[in-house]
Amino acid sequence: MATTEIRTEVRAPARAEARTAPRPGRRVPAGTVIRHAILMLFVAIIILPLLWVVILSIKSLPDAYQGNLWPKHFDFTHYSYVLQHISTIPKNFRNSFIATFGTIITTTVSAVLGGYALAHTRMWGRRIVFSFLVASLFFPTRITALIAVFQLQKSLGLLNVNPGLILPYTTLSLALCIFIMKGIFEGISKEIADQARIDGAGAFRTLWSIMLPLAWNGIVVVIMVVFVTAWGEFLLERTLINEQEVFTMPQVLGTVFGGMGAWAWPRIAAVYVMSVIPGIVIFAIVQRWYIRGLTEGALKG
Amino acid sequence: MAAVAVRGGESSRLSLWVGRNLTGWIFLIPTLFFFCGWALYPIIKVFYISFTDLQYIDAERKTGNFIGLSNYIQALQDPQLHVGLLRAAVFTILFLPGTIFIPMVLAVMIDRVKSGWLGGFYRTVLLIPAVIPGPLIFVLWKWLYNFNIGPFNTILIDVGLFNKANAPQWISDNLWLTMGSIALMEVWWGLGYHTMFFLAGLASIPKELFEAAKVDGANEWQMFWRVTVPRLRPILLILVVLRFGSAMAVIDEYLIFGFDRSKPTYTWTVYMWDLAFQIGSWPQGYAAAIGWIGAAVVLIVVAAMFWVLRDRDG
Repeated sequence: MATTEIRTEVRAPARAEARTAPRPGRRVPAGTVIRHAILMLFVAIIILPLLWVVILSIKSLPDAYQGNLWPKHFDFTHYSYVLQHISTIPKNFRNSFIATFGTIITTTVSAVLGGYALAHTRMWGRRIVFSFLVASLFFPTRITALIAVFQLQKSLGLLNVNPGLILPYTTLSLALCIFIMKGIFEGISKEIADQARIDGAGAFRTLWSIMLPLAWNGIVVVIMVVFVTAWGEFLLERTLINEQEVFTMPQVLGTVFGGMGAWAWPRIAAVYVMSVIPGIVIFAIVQRWYIRGLTEGALKG
Repeated sequence: MAAVAVRGGESSRLSLWVGRNLTGWIFLIPTLFFFCGWALYPIIKVFYISFTDLQYIDAERKTGNFIGLSNYIQALQDPQLHVGLLRAAVFTILFLPGTIFIPMVLAVMIDRVKSGWLGGFYRTVLLIPAVIPGPLIFVLWKWLYNFNIGPFNTILIDVGLFNKANAPQWISDNLWLTMGSIALMEVWWGLGYHTMFFLAGLASIPKELFEAAKVDGANEWQMFWRVTVPRLRPILLILVVLRFGSAMAVIDEYLIFGFDRSKPTYTWTVYMWDLAFQIGSWPQGYAAAIGWIGAAVVLIVVAAMFWVLRDRDG
């Protein structure tokens, strides 16, 4: 499979080259072949582990325990089995969705407003706020703050409360998201904002109707960053939640031991695939804007 | 901006200043709420706790009494902390070079791909792990490394290099093998994301530089080291320092892979977590001191790196 792929890949650029700069013969330079071979190798390195877990989730139970990479018998019932027979799983999925969705809302709103304030208002104290945010990226904030975050959540009565996770989750990716939005807003010329202001638009209307449509790619990157952080957060979840019913998916998967019965390997693998799919689907939908947003300035900060 | 200010003279300049600050700070309210509440305040609070004998589930010491530097003096002599810092350092040493150089080389190769369709394909595939949250990656690799069902051992046994009796225990008591396995996983996870960083940097290098170098007779190797690397220097610096900080403070990996005092995965972060939320009557005062010592070590090395790698020309 891999070899046929490489051959077609190599031919495509060769043809393009021949068209633009006709050379004697149609030989592809050796360097190009090697380059695509290496890149294809990395593609395989990325894909194969993911493929393995997908195959594991549709293996029959005996195949899974006999160490056959490719199963003799497929069994597609593991997915419906875990949803029907492990009563907490649907709840855990709901918990993940609530915590993640809430965090996306709070972080995106904070980052858009904060990034705009830091990029386009010449307010006093901008530098101080900015340097605190930068410092928090180089400091192991998540680890060092943990004990007091636990005590804070406890005093707010939010231990073992799923939506309570939104508060510490928001802070996890906030600094990074503000940089992304600040970078994006700085890429939009000040004149556009000033013109809107002269025309009588308030700061909020300028942001909402003029800036936001131009910042869409950056917002997609922010949503993606927050989604990945919140959907997968484990440390806070493990520290703040200890009831199976309130778990989100990472803690279900991170604390499970593969064995027999309900938690047989192919069944856990099915839970795994279901946990990863939302991220891949969202990525597939937004990847055009995402990659554009990344190159557009999200990475410059 | 100036044009607007000039129109109304002094009083409106003042009101403009107030207005500007008011909008700015109103826009920053949500940010400050979350940042101060769940980052700044907890860090300061933990600093205070580290000077107390707070034991969270001990009735008498639940609030903690001030005991000065005792926790720090005890922690600095604690062999478990020393070995914990050492284990984190081993992981960092194994992880950093791979996670910086492999994506850099990949970015240079992808940057040369002429077909737009293929270039997009490579970027998209490499970015797939970046959209899977870390802990889920760790769960996957914990299974890949599994002694019984993991495909690494299945393949090694199938090709006859090992048998069921002597196949490697990837995550076990061997410090370098365990940390190497975890580092490999982390490099895999960061491939696409870091490649995108470098691609963004490459896009900003003027193509004339390469053409000039080519005219001067430079080969690919020389162009990479003399043109590409120096131009990518700012990105390199940021990535090295950021990744150093995150690698030293890794914890989810170890909690998921399983930990225990004698295992390589019991680093200073795990020790702190274990003390604060599992061991005995939760000696959080002592754990807080460990958290701050670890943070201080990271900060000192980060500062040293900035100083060593600073731009001497500028």
